[in-house]
Amino acid sequence: MAEIDAAGRSTREINSAIRRLIAESSKEITVRNPGARHNLAVAILEDVHVRLAGSVGYYCGGLIDGASIDIEGSAGWGVAESMLSGTVRVHGSVGSGAAAAIRGGTVVVHGDAAARLGVSMKGGTVLVAGNCGYMAGFMAQKGRLIVCGNAGEAFADSMYATICYVGGKIANLGIDAVVAPMDSSEAQQLEKTLSCYLPPSLRRAKPAAADFKKVVAGRKLWNFDKRDWRIWQEAL
Amino acid sequence: MSELQKSGIFAPKVIEEIQAKAESGLYSIRGFGTLRERRWPTFDDLTFLPCSLTRIPLEGYREKCSTKTVLGTRFARKPIQLDIPVMITGMSWGALSYNAKVALAKGAAAAGSSNTTGDGGMLPAERENSRTLIYEVLPSRYGINIHHMRMADAIELTIGQGAKPGTGGLLLGSKVSDRIAEQRDLPTGVDQRSPARHPDFLGPDDMIIKVEELREATDWQVPIFIKLGATRVYDDVKLAAKAGADVIVVDGMEGGTGASPAIFQEHTGLPTLAAVSEARSALEDIGVYGEVQLIIAGGIRDGADAAKAIALGADACYIGTAALIALNCNKPIYEDDYHAIGAAPHACHHCHTGRCPVGITTQDPDLMKRLDVEQGAERVRNLLQVMTAEIQMLARACGKSDVHHLEPEDMAALTLEASAICGIPLVGTRKVFRH
Repeated sequence: MAEIDAAGRSTREINSAIRRLIAESSKEITVRNPGARHNLAVAILEDVHVRLAGSVGYYCGGLIDGASIDIEGSAGWGVAESMLSGTVRVHGSVGSGAAAAIRGGTVVVHGDAAARLGVSMKGGTVLVAGNCGYMAGFMAQKGRLIVCGNAGEAFADSMYATICYVGGKIANLGIDAVVAPMDSSEAQQLEKTLSCYLPPSLRRAKPAAADFKKVVAGRKLWNFDKRDWRIWQEAL
Repeated sequence: MSELQKSGIFAPKVIEEIQAKAESGLYSIRGFGTLRERRWPTFDDLTFLPCSLTRIPLEGYREKCSTKTVLGTRFARKPIQLDIPVMITGMSWGALSYNAKVALAKGAAAAGSSNTTGDGGMLPAERENSRTLIYEVLPSRYGINIHHMRMADAIELTIGQGAKPGTGGLLLGSKVSDRIAEQRDLPTGVDQRSPARHPDFLGPDDMIIKVEELREATDWQVPIFIKLGATRVYDDVKLAAKAGADVIVVDGMEGGTGASPAIFQEHTGLPTLAAVSEARSALEDIGVYGEVQLIIAGGIRDGADAAKAIALGADACYIGTAALIALNCNKPIYEDDYHAIGAAPHACHHCHTGRCPVGITTQDPDLMKRLDVEQGAERVRNLLQVMTAEIQMLARACGKSDVHHLEPEDMAALTLEASAICGIPLVGTRKVFRH
C-alpha cells in the first residue's frame, strides 16, 4: 500500500505523485490529508484503487477510465464527471453535477447529492443512498440513476433513455418525465445493484427494490411537434 | 398608372414569413448562418494602405514573409506550431458527413494547418488524417473520451458559438443515424438539442477549476483554448484570460451552424469586426496581449478578411463555411436535388435537413459519396494556401516580413462605424472617430 501525504502540496504535485506511483506499479494508493483540493485523481486510466482519506473539491475522479476511487469524506461539484468506466465511491455527500456526463462506470454516494445529479449522463450507474436535490437526471441520455431517498424538484427533466429509480418521495417530476411500471425481473436487477454497492447497514435502512418508483422519459421532447407546443414552451 | 406601393416594414418576404408561421405553428430552423440583407460593420469597411513614400514595400512574389503561427505559449509545454494562420474550425461529425470531416482533416494537414473536432467527439479517421487536431470540449459532452483528449494537440473548451451564442447545438432527427446516435449515446432519430450550459460548471470562477482539470488530465502539455460566441466580448475575454486560457477564440455573428433557430442567426451576437476589436482591447487592458493568443472566427471568406483580422490583433483565423464552400457547398451541381429540398445553388442553407446535395452536411451514404475525400482535401488545401498567399501579398505590400506584423496603422476605415469600432482613422481624415 503506497501513501501520499497531501498536506501542503499542490494539486499538480499530488496528481504527479499518484501518477508516479502508478508508473511504479502500485495498485493501492492512499492520499492522506486531501484537504478538499480540486481536481484530485483526475484522468486515471489504469486499474488501480485510490483512497482519498478525507473530503475533496471539484471534479475528483473526473475523466477516469477503469480506476476505483474511494472518497472517505464529501466531494465538491462534478465528482467523476465524464468517466468512461471504473467506480467512484463517496462515503459522505456530493455537491452539484455529481456524475455529470459519465459514459460508463458506477458512482456511489453514501450521503446526499446536491443539484443536477447525473446531469447529461450517457451511461453507467449512479446510486445515491440519501436524497438528491433539484433537477437530478436533467437531459440524461442513457444509464441508470438510482436515488434511495427523496428526489428534489424537476426530477428527470428532458431525458432521453436514462432510467431512474427513486425509493422515497419525488418533490415533482420534470418536463416529459413519467412514472413507469417496474416488473419483478427489473426489481431483482435493482436489488442486486443496491446490495452490491451499498454497505449492508445502509442497504437495510432503505426501501425494498420493489417499492422504488421508476421514472423514464415520456418521449414527447424527442422530436419537435407543434401539437406539444405547451410542453416546448416550457422546455425551451 | 404608377406601381402600387409595398410596405418597407411588412415587405413581401415578411408577409410570407408571418403567414408561414401562422400556417405551420413552427419557428424556422435552418443551417448556414445569418442571411441578413441589411448591412452591418464588416471587414469590407476597412482598406489597406500599402507602402508608397513613408514606408517601403517588400517584393511581392519574392521576399520572405513568414506565415508561421504559434499558439499556446502561455502555459502549455507544447504550443501548436502551424505553417499558416488560417485554421479549420470545429464542426461535428453528425452535422458533417464522414467524408467531409476526413477531407477537412487531410486538406488542413496538407496546408500545414489544424482542424477541430466538434459536438460528438473525435472521429478516429480524423485523428489519423490530421497534422494538428484540436479537441473540443462542449457543453453536451457528446462522445467525451479521455483517450481522444490525450491524443489531441490542443483542447478547446467551448462556451458558445457566434451563430447562436447562449444556446446549444441542434441536430435534427434526419441526421441522427445509427452511427451518430451511438457516438453520442442517444436514441436513433431524436431531434438532438444540445445543452447550452456545461453540466459541471456555470460561471467564470468554476471555469478556472475546469481549466485546471483539463490541464491535469493532459499533464499541462497541450494548449487550452476557450471559445466564446461574440456577445459581451470585452468582459468575456478578460474572464477567459483570468481562467487560464492559453488561447481565446472569439466567434462573431457571421459564424455558421449546421442547424439553429433562424432567430438566433439573425438577431444575436456581435459582428466579427467588432469582436476582434473588443477582444484586443480587453487583452491589452489586462496586460496579456501577445501572451494570450487570439483566434478570430465568423464569416472569414478570403485572405483580405483574414489579413484585416490579423492587423486588428488576431494571431490566427478560423474558417468554417468557407472551407465547406471549398468542398462544393452551394455549387451549381445536382441542381434537382437542391430544388427537391426547397433550395437552390447559391441559396442553400438547408444543412439541417440532412439532404445536402453535395454530400457535406448529410449522413445519407449515397449523398455522402458525392464528396470525394481526396478531391475535397485538395480543394481545402488549395483554399488555405491561396488565402495564405493573399495575406502575404497584402503584408508584403505593407512592408511586413511576417504576416503577424500587420497592424491597425496599415489600414483606413471606409465608414464612420468602422472607424469608431476599430479606432482607425476614417478615409479622407486623420481622425479616429472613437468614443
